[in-house]
Order: sequence, then structure tokens, then C-alpha cells
Amino acid sequence: MKQRTFLTTLALFLLFFNLGIFIVSVAMFKDTVKRAEDRSLGEHYFIASALIKDIKAVESRGTKIDGSLSSLLQPYSYLSGDNKVGLAFYKNNQLIYSSKDTDVQRSNFLIPPSNGNRLVTIRKVDKKTYVIVSGKLPSPYASYTLVYQYDTTEAINSWSDLKNLLFIAGFVLSVLLALGLLLVLNRIFRPLKQITQTSKDIANGAYETRLSISGHDELTEMSHSFNYMAEEIQRHMTELKDAADKKQQFVDNFAHELRTPLTAIYGYAEYMQKAVLSEDDRLSALNYIMSESRRLQTVAYQLLELANLQNNQITFEELKVSGLFEAVRQTLYGKLSGKDVQIEFHSQIETIRGDFCLMESMLINLLDNAIRACSKGGHIIVNAAKEAGRKTISVRDNGKGMTPEVLAQITEPFYRGEKSRNRSDGGAGLGLSLCKQITSSHNAELSFSSRPGEGTTAKITFTTQ
Amino acid sequence: MASILIVEDEVAINELVKRNLQLVGHQCNSVFDGNAAVQEIQCRSYDLIILDIMLPGLDGFEVIEQANKTPTIFLSAKNSMPDRIKGFSMGADDYLTKPFEMLELLARVEAVLRRTQRTASCFEAGNVKIDFSSHQVFHNGQSVECTPKEYELLEVLVNNRNIALSRERLLELVWGYDFEGDTRTVDVHIQKLRKKLEWEDRIKTVYKLGYRLEVSR
Repeated sequence: MKQRTFLTTLALFLLFFNLGIFIVSVAMFKDTVKRAEDRSLGEHYFIASALIKDIKAVESRGTKIDGSLSSLLQPYSYLSGDNKVGLAFYKNNQLIYSSKDTDVQRSNFLIPPSNGNRLVTIRKVDKKTYVIVSGKLPSPYASYTLVYQYDTTEAINSWSDLKNLLFIAGFVLSVLLALGLLLVLNRIFRPLKQITQTSKDIANGAYETRLSISGHDELTEMSHSFNYMAEEIQRHMTELKDAADKKQQFVDNFAHELRTPLTAIYGYAEYMQKAVLSEDDRLSALNYIMSESRRLQTVAYQLLELANLQNNQITFEELKVSGLFEAVRQTLYGKLSGKDVQIEFHSQIETIRGDFCLMESMLINLLDNAIRACSKGGHIIVNAAKEAGRKTISVRDNGKGMTPEVLAQITEPFYRGEKSRNRSDGGAGLGLSLCKQITSSHNAELSFSSRPGEGTTAKITFTTQ
Repeated sequence: MASILIVEDEVAINELVKRNLQLVGHQCNSVFDGNAAVQEIQCRSYDLIILDIMLPGLDGFEVIEQANKTPTIFLSAKNSMPDRIKGFSMGADDYLTKPFEMLELLARVEAVLRRTQRTASCFEAGNVKIDFSSHQVFHNGQSVECTPKEYELLEVLVNNRNIALSRERLLELVWGYDFEGDTRTVDVHIQKLRKKLEWEDRIKTVYKLGYRLEVSR
């Protein structure tokens, strides 16, 4: 592009510039020639008319003119002091006088037109340019022909020098123009080059590369849109990467969640098969096998439930909040017996719309987490109320709370706050994923707020009804 | 024999590893998190650490930095190449992924112990004594002549004592994968060992499985 612009501009310039020089030269040449011709014609006329007067004077004295023509013409030969003028005189095509350069004169003798007009020609002889005017004397001396020759070499030469100078100047100017053009084009195309480089960098994965922006022209505007595009691409890439990371995390966690019980089950079975065991050893190995199988079963069940929830529509019905709370309280009764944790249920709304089983399972999950977060003397409040015109159910505990980083990820499947994924205070990490899925299939929102050491609040906000 | 520290937060697996190592006569100690592991390493010297990576408190990589060059086998559910490479580059002697087989764990433990020269060079049971360094077997103080295969079979049995080994596994471990004989070869060699060492009741035939060398723990 740059090269093409450069070449086209340069070619166009050279064409017009040289054409201009050419036209000027031609005009000057014509002018030079015309002036020489005019001057020659003038002189010729002057000499011819003076000569006729002289001839008449000589004739009136009764002398034959043929013999005295040389002396008559002599003074005119000196008309110009610089030997530029030559004269020749013919009678019936016979040369009777010539001031100089006879050979030239003879070879350049021209028959003037018969109607008495004069003939002007330009001849080039031996590197010299002559303007030759030949014309007959008016009658009765029509048999005489006067040839006037003017050496205009100098004028032609000076024109030629000027013309050469013009072309040389033209060449120098062209070179200067080419350099200037190159400079200007480089400057104009620099942003484009930068854009090219930046796009390459971005394509190669350096998504944070941006164009530097200066000025207020179209290129600046383009740079702005380019940078915007780069930003969007980077954002999308980050999103994709996050999604891939999350997926990888899910797979890793899932694998871990399967591998650990499988290792234990296989290991204890192998142990029972190959080792000599006491009755106690045998029973404890069997216990491990059973508890680990149950763990696998739970994971499988929860995963299945999660998949089902994602695919199936739920049936909405009018639920009594008090009935829901009662069912939850009864289920949790067993879990609470060993722990010193109190749960309070408050309800300021009568009913909600939803699936009873799913709602119950979600509340149990949330309360399970709350109970686990609480130490001795824990206090949990379950509250159903209207907030800003929307029905909400919140579960608030005064347990250990969570950091914002943990809070951001708790609904990811298999996520656990504890990085070792120890099971001592948690299940497979699917509970909150399930809760989230249940709320979203109820067109509700599940939100958490928590501060380490001060407890956590989980809130379900129903957007419908 | 060797004293081994097991660092694994899953109680079931910790217990499993411990039981298996104890079967073949190692002394084991279990801890369930990274901080306890570091404390334990600083208090006592161990011949070997079996270390999980995902641990509460300090993780396995942080623990191995404090391990003072004690031979270490990583036992992890993480089986990606970067994790393995990180494990080895941090000085692990071996890397085993879950799920694993008991015999494989024992073989690797044995290999690491042999390499780090901390395994006992002698084994004694009743009136039989085996000197591993000189490959000699004594019965009632008398040297017993063994063919190379008999000696290798004996060594495998001793290293996996109290664990039943199938005939196929014995063939694989002693004669190698590409051995073309059948499992009768194993029976013949077992008979010879029983006779030479008077081990008729120590090398038990396990019904439908194979053989087990039983030694009181």
C-alpha cells in the first residue's frame, strides 16, 4: 500500500513536472525562433529598401548597377558588428555578391517565391543555426534576389542551456520530492504499521497489548476501536479460561471424590482377601468398605439429582410455610440431639409457591451447613418474610463464617472451603450446588453474606408470585 | 523393620496403608494433617514417609520441604503430569496415585528402602535366617543351598509376608512376564522351599488363591 502510493504519486508528479518543463521549453524555443525571424525580416526589409534607393540613385547617375553592386552592398555587411549577419546578392540565380561564407550561402540558396513574398527558413549548418531570409527586390529589379542570413546559434544555445538546466533542476527536484514523499508516507503509515504489529502480537496471545493513542484524527478513532476490540477479546478469553478452569476444577474434584472411596473399598477388599485377619480386623475392614460405598452412593445420588433438576420442570403448588418448617424441624431433630445448637423458625408469610420436597431438601441442606458452621452454643434463625415486596426465606447462623474468596465459590459443584477436601466436616461438596439449582428452577435467587467469625446468612429471594 | 510415617487425612486410607505395611513387619505411625507431620518429622527420625499432597494445614509439598531428606513416597489422587513432575522435583523418591494396589505400594516401599539402604539386611523367622546382602539362607545355623529362582521366590515371599500372593503374581514377580511355564512351576518351587527350610506350616496354601508366608508380627 505504502509502496504503491509512493510509486503512483511519484510517477504522476514526474509526468506532469516533466510535461510542464517540456511545454515551457517548446514555448521558449518558439519564442526564440520567432524573435530571430522577426529581426531577420526587419533587417532584410530595411536593407532591401535602402538598397533600392541606392540603386535608383546610381541609375539616375547613368551608371550600370551590375558593376557597383558589391560596393553598394559592402556597408550593409557591416551592419552588425559581431559578424552574425551575412548578405548575398543574386541576379537570376547567379551570385554576384556575398559578404562571407560563400559556400554556405551557395548551398543555402533558396528560390524565393515568385509572388514577391519573402521566404524565411531556419537552417542548421556545422553546428550553427541560421535564419535565412531570401526575397526578390521589388520590380523593376525583380531579377535580383537579396539573401539575408542571421546567425542565431547563440540564442538557440542559450535556449538549449536553459532547457538543460530546467531538466537537471527537474531531476534534482524529483529526487528531493521522492525523499520527501517517502518521509511523509512513512509518517502517515506509521500508525498502520503499529496496528499491524499490535494485531500480530494479539494474535500470538499477548492479549494485553494496546495501541498508544495521540492526536484527534481518523486514525486515533480507529485506534480507539481497535483497543476496544482488543479489550473485548481479552475479556472473552478470560471468561473462556475461567470456564475451562472451573470445568477442570470440577473434573479434578469429581475424580478425587470418586478415587478416595474406590481406593479404600478396593484396598480393604484386597486386604481381606490376602491377609490373615482377626475377627476385629475383619469387622473394621468391612465397616470401612460399607461406609465408603455409602459415600459413593451419596455422591452418585446427589449428582443424579443435580442432573435431574437441570433437565426437568418442577411442579409448582401452594405450600404452607409452617408445614414446611415443621417437616424440616423433624428431619433435623436427630442431627441436633448431639450438638448444642438452637434453631428458631419465624414466619411472617403464609404460603409460597414451589415444590415441597425440593424446598424441604434445600432448607435441610442450608441448615446442615449452618449447623456444621456452628460451635457449641450456636444459634440459627430461619426467617420467612417479605422484603421489598418479595417473599424471602433466610437462614442465619452465628458460626465461623467465610472469607469472600470462599464465599464466591461455595456453589460450585464439589467445592470445599478446606483445600485438602477432608470430609470430617462436610459431604462431597454438592449440597450448595443442589440448593442453587433448586432456587433457580423456582425462579428464585440464592445469595450469601458472611464475615469470618461472625456467621453466615443464606437468603432465598422469590422473584415470582 | 523400617519405621514409616503415614501422612494422609482420609482415615480409611491412612488405616489401610498402615495395616498393609504392618503386615510385612514395618513400624508405622499415622498423622492426619500437615502440621502434625512436620512436628512428627522433627521429633523422630523415620526411614520413610508416605505423604498425601492435599492435606489440611500444610500441603504435601510444604511438608516435604521440612522433611530433611527423609525418603518420601507421594501417595496422591492427583495424577496429572505437572503434579508428578513437581513431586519428583521436590525430592520425592516415588509417586503413587490413588487408586493403588497393596502389592504395588509394598513393592515401591521395598524398592525405596533398598535404594536408600535402610532396609534390614537380615530376616529371621524361627530357625531360618536369610542374609539379603550375601544371598545366603541358613537353617538351624546350617547354610542351605538354593537355586537362584528358589532364592528369588523366598525373597518375594519374605518381602510380602502375611499377604497371600497368587501363583500368577508369583510367576510375574520371580520369573518375569514373558516366562512361558505354567503355575505348576510355582508349586514345585514352593514344595522345594518348604522341604529345605522345614516351612511346611509357615508357607500356607491359600484356597483358590496361592501362597502366603505367615510370620508372627
